[in-house]
Amino acid sequence: MNTLVELEPAISAAEIVQNVFSTMLGFTVAARAPGHLNPADDRVSGTVGLAGESITGAIYVHLPEALARSIVNGMLGSPLDQDVGDDELHDVVGELTNMIGGGFKSALCDGGRSCAMSTPAIIRGVFAIEVPQDLRVHNFLFDCQGTPFSVEVHLKSI
Amino acid sequence: MKILSVDDSRTIRMIVKRAFAPFDVKVIEAGNGEEGLAVAAAEKPNLIVLDITMPVMDGVTMLGKLKENPELKDIPVIMLTAESGRENVAFIAKLGVRDYLAKPFQDTQLVEKAQRVLTLQPKPVPATP
Repeated sequence: MNTLVELEPAISAAEIVQNVFSTMLGFTVAARAPGHLNPADDRVSGTVGLAGESITGAIYVHLPEALARSIVNGMLGSPLDQDVGDDELHDVVGELTNMIGGGFKSALCDGGRSCAMSTPAIIRGVFAIEVPQDLRVHNFLFDCQGTPFSVEVHLKSI
Repeated sequence: MKILSVDDSRTIRMIVKRAFAPFDVKVIEAGNGEEGLAVAAAEKPNLIVLDITMPVMDGVTMLGKLKENPELKDIPVIMLTAESGRENVAFIAKLGVRDYLAKPFQDTQLVEKAQRVLTLQPKPVPATP
């Protein structure tokens, strides 16, 4: 359910995401059945690109803004309802995406699919990702503090 | 005692500062390898906590330049990496760093690694008037 079975059985999206959230934030994350979340107006998304000789792709972490702001405070050790500036929001979501992306990248490399990972970028608001036909998209849904969020993994074997 | 945190993420630099807050340590910061080299030359830190993937100059390039500099080459370096795969760990091991720490990490793990290199003293309690 939460595994990239087609590419590498050892890659568990849930393990990667739960490890980042519990280690850096002390937050519990529950995996949900795969599916899609309707993009929210206030979505904050982080993305990193992957590029290698046998695989290419991207990883997106989509967070509702309220959850993203709680994550910032959790990461910085502040009260969860404290005001958060956009610069802090982008930096923390970028770092969170970097860690989650690093987990997938490491598992891919350990599975014989060496690749490099880009520095993270942040996207705000409603947007659509155009996916080429030969790219496989894996959508993983999670719950954190009663709020759903998603991690999208786009991969293409070369 | 000074520890230099080189990371393009302010969040990580803040976490490094927080980790060493209980100790008699001044944490100084740089946002990329180029800045990190300049700060290292000026401040001569006792330890560098160095991210790998950064804009302008990455951590591997900065480390290479540190090792070429007779005044800086012996400063111990702990590499921070979001990529803990076998290939990356083997690569880091060859770079001549003292240790590495994979993200995500807890403050205590970083302090534990630093204590293998430095003797950290608790921050002195200010005298009451």
